[in-house]
Amino acid sequence: MTVVTTTDQARLDKSEAQGAAPALQIQSHSPESRGQKVWSKLTAVTRYYPVFLIFLIWEVLSLLNVFDPMFMPPLEEVAKTFYREVFVTHELLAHIGVSFMRAGAGLGLAAVVGIAAGILMGRVRVVESFLDPLISALFPTPKLALFPLMMIFLGIGDASKIALIFLGCFFPIVINTYTGVKNVDKFFVWNAQTKGASHRQLIWHVILPASLPFVFAGLRVATSTAFLLIVASELIAANDGLGYLIMFAERSFDPALMWCGILVIAAMGFTVDRLLLALGARLFVWQDK
Amino acid sequence: MNGATMQTDVHVDVRRISQRFRSGRQGDLLALDRIDLQARRGEFVSIVGPSGCGKSTLLYIVAGLLQASDGEVLVDGAPIDGPHPDRGLVLQNSSIFPWRTVAENVAFGPQMSGLPQAERRSLVAHYLDMVGLTKFANFYPRELSGGMKQRIAIAQMLACGPSVFLMDEPFGALDSLSREVLQDQLLQLWERDRKTVLFVTHSIDEAVLLSDRIVIMSPLPGRVKEIVEVDLPRPRQETRALPEFGRLRSHIWSAIRQETMEAIG
Repeated sequence: MTVVTTTDQARLDKSEAQGAAPALQIQSHSPESRGQKVWSKLTAVTRYYPVFLIFLIWEVLSLLNVFDPMFMPPLEEVAKTFYREVFVTHELLAHIGVSFMRAGAGLGLAAVVGIAAGILMGRVRVVESFLDPLISALFPTPKLALFPLMMIFLGIGDASKIALIFLGCFFPIVINTYTGVKNVDKFFVWNAQTKGASHRQLIWHVILPASLPFVFAGLRVATSTAFLLIVASELIAANDGLGYLIMFAERSFDPALMWCGILVIAAMGFTVDRLLLALGARLFVWQDK
Repeated sequence: MNGATMQTDVHVDVRRISQRFRSGRQGDLLALDRIDLQARRGEFVSIVGPSGCGKSTLLYIVAGLLQASDGEVLVDGAPIDGPHPDRGLVLQNSSIFPWRTVAENVAFGPQMSGLPQAERRSLVAHYLDMVGLTKFANFYPRELSGGMKQRIAIAQMLACGPSVFLMDEPFGALDSLSREVLQDQLLQLWERDRKTVLFVTHSIDEAVLLSDRIVIMSPLPGRVKEIVEVDLPRPRQETRALPEFGRLRSHIWSAIRQETMEAIG
């Protein structure tokens, strides 16, 4: 069993080193590399000490009765509620699932449509002249203002929220993709064309990878927008989801549950953003720093 | 008329190419004015001239990347219609793809034409070996020097199996040492395969060293000023020291000096 895990680890090390820089391949097999790895993970955690410090201050101030427990219950109350909601009643998991599904559906849809529209805008003059004024006019409009309208059309269920998130995420993605496509070096395109690339191959093998860093930046902005809009729309009108949970807890005088919802959302946003950053670092090893 | 024999001899035939660019207030700018130029099969033709003489524009037209305002380009007697892998292009700035490794860059053309993976791999290995970059197959271009990048660009072109090489100042951005090394390597390659080459450069030395003929262009509008035959013996690796080299060099320099002065202002 141990043998298997070590070889797995070694293979992992090797592939990582290849992704980063082939020159580092030999180094990753040396024995001290694992210690270095653990250490680097540790420093990554300690980098967030201010977060833990704030938790500590919170706990101490609560114990000293500085905070009104109706607003700021002691942290262990929040932890207890979290445990109960996750492992006993599973209710929090259901809310997380619902919110995640809505945000993911809206964001995923926006990514597909936004990237496709951005590429078309960047490559086809007619599409560009049609969409550009529309996007310029609609982009600065706060999408949340459209939510009541969407509830009229789509009800207070999933559809109106997914539509709202789609709209909010579509703009940063389409604008970034369009900018990225417009910025693709003419000589990359020419080089590909003289090597026999068809229109479709040009899009897939040159335009898309060349503009991917821009697309990715758009996706990151869109992700934070998705989190903002999911909570906001669930606060306004919903029967489930994390926004609803926070509102429900506030109305039923359960501050520990409310904080539970807030911290879960914060943790989710943080995790997703970190995952995106890590994915970006993988995808763009080829880029000049 | 012995048209038949003429046609088999001429590989790339540029016929009365003119190119006008719209340029705001001054009206149209005539970048190329009725250029006539023939390259025989297996001939190395350089195009020199001061900046603004349209030599790169001419090359992009032959590549099929720009549409000429007037005239036509024939390859093997047939008019060209857009870019084609048979006319390979190497550009000055590394136009190789930074998101692809060295090997993936060389594999680009064969991948586009749908060559099976196994054949692609052996083809890539062959051309990487030819340009001496086998050890760097899995590197990304950003990790390599300018000279290496240009060698990848050349290997990338070779992998498409072109019969015409179009090279736009391929060594223009390199330091003089790398430049000489790559010139020698290109010479060896050309002397072995004898492809037709159109080579744009602003280095007179480079043109004399490599070419069978040198087309001297003058700017505003771009015209062919003179065509010089280079009758130096081949192989040319040691040619730089010959007195004939210096004579040709100064002849070409005197032909373009005045325009160059004017172009610099």
